Amino acid sequence: MTTRLLLALLLLVPLRVSAEGWTLPRMAWGDPDLQGTWTSATITGLERMDGVDELVLTPEEARRIEEQFAGFFEAVDAVPEGELPAGEDVGGYNTFWMDPGKRMAIVRGEIRSSLLVEPADGKLPYSWRGRAQMFKRFYQFMKADDPEARLLGERCIVGFGSTGGPPMLPVLYNNHYRIVQSPGFLTILVEMNHDARIVRIGGEHLPAQIRPWLGDSVGHWEGDTLVVETTNFHPGQSFRGSLRHQIFMTKEARVEEKFTRVGEKEILYEFSVDDPGAYKQVWRGEVPLLAAEGRIYEYACHEGNYSLPGILAGARAED
Amino acid sequence: MARIFFVLPVAAAIFAGAVANAEASYVAPRGPGGKPDLNGTWQAMNRANDNLQHHPAQAALALRKGPHGPVPAKEVVALGAVGAVPAGFGVVVGDEIPYQKWALEKKKENQANWLTRDPEIKCYLPGVPRATYMPFPFQILHNEDALFFAYEYAGAVRDIHLTDPGPAPIDSWMGQSVGTWEGDTLVVETTGQNDQTWLDRAGNFHSEAMRVVERFTPRSPHVLDYEATIEDEKVFTRPWKIRMPLYKLVDDDAHLQRFNCVEFVEELMYGHLRKRPLD
Repeated sequence: MTTRLLLALLLLVPLRVSAEGWTLPRMAWGDPDLQGTWTSATITGLERMDGVDELVLTPEEARRIEEQFAGFFEAVDAVPEGELPAGEDVGGYNTFWMDPGKRMAIVRGEIRSSLLVEPADGKLPYSWRGRAQMFKRFYQFMKADDPEARLLGERCIVGFGSTGGPPMLPVLYNNHYRIVQSPGFLTILVEMNHDARIVRIGGEHLPAQIRPWLGDSVGHWEGDTLVVETTNFHPGQSFRGSLRHQIFMTKEARVEEKFTRVGEKEILYEFSVDDPGAYKQVWRGEVPLLAAEGRIYEYACHEGNYSLPGILAGARAED
Repeated sequence: MARIFFVLPVAAAIFAGAVANAEASYVAPRGPGGKPDLNGTWQAMNRANDNLQHHPAQAALALRKGPHGPVPAKEVVALGAVGAVPAGFGVVVGDEIPYQKWALEKKKENQANWLTRDPEIKCYLPGVPRATYMPFPFQILHNEDALFFAYEYAGAVRDIHLTDPGPAPIDSWMGQSVGTWEGDTLVVETTGQNDQTWLDRAGNFHSEAMRVVERFTPRSPHVLDYEATIEDEKVFTRPWKIRMPLYKLVDDDAHLQRFNCVEFVEELMYGHLRKRPLD
């Protein structure tokens, strides 16, 4: 396409100009520019913490929770004097390896107590069947009989929890995403584990027999918002366990994500999960994706996975 | 008749010359930043991953001595013809890989121990340049500000820098790549790779000192000429080159599938640690 034609097309596209004078950047072919390195790190959890009723926190409440988290992480690093007790759990790793963020999430100017915005109570609306399946998987996980029963993150198949998504949710570390666009495609490189989810703009979903990890994503633009629908989930991705959230989703789930560039340094990421096989109702959430410096460093997990054989060998020694 | 036999080769030669000239003078349509548009899904169609050098068809990659010559090793004998390796033209310019003496011995040892040593068997990241000629496609996402390679095999990626950030902070499996343009040729220099990857299934290897310079030149709308110069003073006596065409997948729905082989090697790597190991 000639530059002149591109320019003519660009002139037809209305420019988004915010109150602060920020203008929505666009790719050469006219699509909104979502490209860059982004982080979802926040201490706001998917579900609302017990004892908090409202979705929106006051600045004082938020500061109190942030201080609690800071205190918790300081305690993690406090190693007792002298020799560590043999045969006891000495913990995983210190906070050098963690990067969960320090702040509560701010969405639409509101400080949020949960990433979930629906249901209104901020809790996952499991059906009894969904919860039973989740507990069944959790029980298998606890037994460590087989590698397939362990968490996807421990197996280095995809990252922990739902970091790879969709929906993409913050976990304890490695919460970066790199977005690169080309005409007809948008790829989301998930830091953990170097998974490039390539969203096709337009087109059909894959045949039902093909079920990739992270599902099959097809997008379209609604105004300046990229809407991505994901189906064809891999049955092995049903249980997404991490320290910060545990989700069970059936392979028939449909996830809709919306990416809207709302500022030079922010994308508003909205998602909804429709999965009648495990939930009583559709659940929706909102996460700010904030601009991060630099590139994502390679997260080569499987190549150095000493953890999984260690876990299994430990369980065999206990048997 | 004699005349026809004479005319046909001449006509073929003239036609071939015309095609070659057309390719030599091919000017790719302008893409991002006025450079050729590399967007698309590409694949090498050769047997370089089996062996970078000329090789005959053989019964298996893992062989053992038989009474009348090599036969497939016990571990792969059940695969029959599916485990056999087709013949392949080499992609090494001059067909010689200039190993230092000790390194040639190690290469041979690697090849003899392929089943336990080739990182591909364990689904490890392929490194550069092997990622290019794995028997899987890769997709290039290309615009003014980004050049991103996504490989179907093992979900490997390269987020290519368009300005040199300086030496890689630490070695990695896929290394650090910096892309520049020389006319219509994309030149990608990759350093900072660890010494764990191989160059093919024939035991060809390198050290962490390897520097790879790849050149991607459009030859026609659907073909890129690919050349990689491999330099590694710890392993080779001089730089050497591989060369091959890369073909664009042209189906309407051409895009990558995912080949996350980590799950496929769990039985191999961890099967013995099951509570009830399978027979």
